[in-house]
Amino acid sequence: MNQNKAALMKNYSFILLFIFLSGTGYAQEEQQEAPQPYKKKVLEKMEIEFLSSYYLQEGENAAVSGGIGDEHLTDLTPTFVVSVPLNQDDVLSVDAGISAYTSASSSNINPFDGKNPANPFQASSGASSADLWAGINTSYSHSSDDRNNIWTGKLSAATEYDYFSLGFGGSYTRLFNEKNTEISINTTIFLDSWKLIYPIELRNFNSGEDREDFDISKYTITGNPNYNPQFKGFNDKKRNSYALGGSFSQILSKKFQGLLSVDVVRQEGLLSMPFQRVYFQDIADSFIEEFHLADDVERLPETRNKLALGANLNYYLNEFLVLRTHYRYYTDNWGIDSHTAKIELPVKLGHGFTVYPSYRYYTQTRSDYFAGYNKHLSTEKYYTSDYDLSEFNANQYGIGVNYTDIFTKFHLWHFGMKSIDLEYNRYDRNTSFNANILSAGFKFILD
Amino acid sequence: MKKIIGLACIVFTLQSCSVVKEYEKIALSDPDMVLAPRSVERFKTSFHAYRESASGAVGGKTGGGCGCN
Repeated sequence: MNQNKAALMKNYSFILLFIFLSGTGYAQEEQQEAPQPYKKKVLEKMEIEFLSSYYLQEGENAAVSGGIGDEHLTDLTPTFVVSVPLNQDDVLSVDAGISAYTSASSSNINPFDGKNPANPFQASSGASSADLWAGINTSYSHSSDDRNNIWTGKLSAATEYDYFSLGFGGSYTRLFNEKNTEISINTTIFLDSWKLIYPIELRNFNSGEDREDFDISKYTITGNPNYNPQFKGFNDKKRNSYALGGSFSQILSKKFQGLLSVDVVRQEGLLSMPFQRVYFQDIADSFIEEFHLADDVERLPETRNKLALGANLNYYLNEFLVLRTHYRYYTDNWGIDSHTAKIELPVKLGHGFTVYPSYRYYTQTRSDYFAGYNKHLSTEKYYTSDYDLSEFNANQYGIGVNYTDIFTKFHLWHFGMKSIDLEYNRYDRNTSFNANILSAGFKFILD
Repeated sequence: MKKIIGLACIVFTLQSCSVVKEYEKIALSDPDMVLAPRSVERFKTSFHAYRESASGAVGGKTGGGCGCN
């Protein structure tokens, strides 16, 4: 009897276990097969973009030689941007590039190491005549399931012979009103550190910590032969920049949308360029060969607050024409107010080609601390002869062309070419300065 | 200046009352309607940051990280 009862219990146990496992399995199966809402990937496939530019500038107001001198500069900037979809919601982007430049004005940090007599309008051939900048930016973005919330984190590093920069930041974007409205906030912090490089003739007179020997006695000094500047180097080698920005974009109609943006920036630390000379009108001038010896380097406040307000309005005129406009107002506590206006009219030519004619106007007032060559007084607290801080206006004319192949027919290894961009811009200031920039971009998508 | 910004804000706010549906966004989806500079324009933005005092509100650098003003 007991044996039968035990056998019956055993059978019940098996049945219960079977039911439990079946139920669990069914529940798991049901859980596994529960229909998931369709989510389009934020980025479908890996993208690689190769970007490059060639920049050439000319001018006669070099800041290194105190507001006079050759500003000839060339810059070549190959850059790669790789964007990788990590899953349906997350994208990792790496942006790495270099900037190889030659600069006549930088070469005149030491104008006495060339073959020709030293002259601010003559480039020297020394070590500072060329340099290489290298930088890398990485960003990671995550989008919510409904794609209405986007979080992004950023990390960057950049280095040049005389500075190193570390940057980090993040942003949050919120879309609502059926994706008609978008609000975004972002913040970035840059921690820069400088290697202090002074004009060669001042190094021996530096009463600060980083004095360097330069035997000026082997040169013949003309003008005032008793050259004896009261020079003290900078104590601070750091520059920190804190930026907080926000934007609000709105679809205004089926063909019209706009964006308002604001950036607030606070900079602290060494905001002067230690190699930019200043000449005082109340100190007798001294020369070696044809080069005016510095009285000091530029001295600027150790804080700067900036505010920029921008607006973009884009209007789809018809299937051939789009109107893109931009306006920006800028002000800072160094006394500079600026207005920027830009208009671009993309013209679709068909067969994937679009032409981009553009015009940009820029104007700024003079900084409180700016005066031209030999115009400052030695009694002033802050001074600079950098014409980038002077009053000027500039016109920029541009023409670009884009070819987009939505079928990515042309292939390079496992990548199909999606688009090619070429652009040329001419920039003219109402001073002696002008610049030309040629840019190109090639975008590929992984098959 | 303040009047222009104020007017722009009012226009934006009023316009936000009407909603454009997803299927009506064909023109707005045109690549040239994007409210940001094209990637090939980054070098221009960079040289402006070096050569002009103003920066920011254009999607590029706002100061720091570039040896520029």
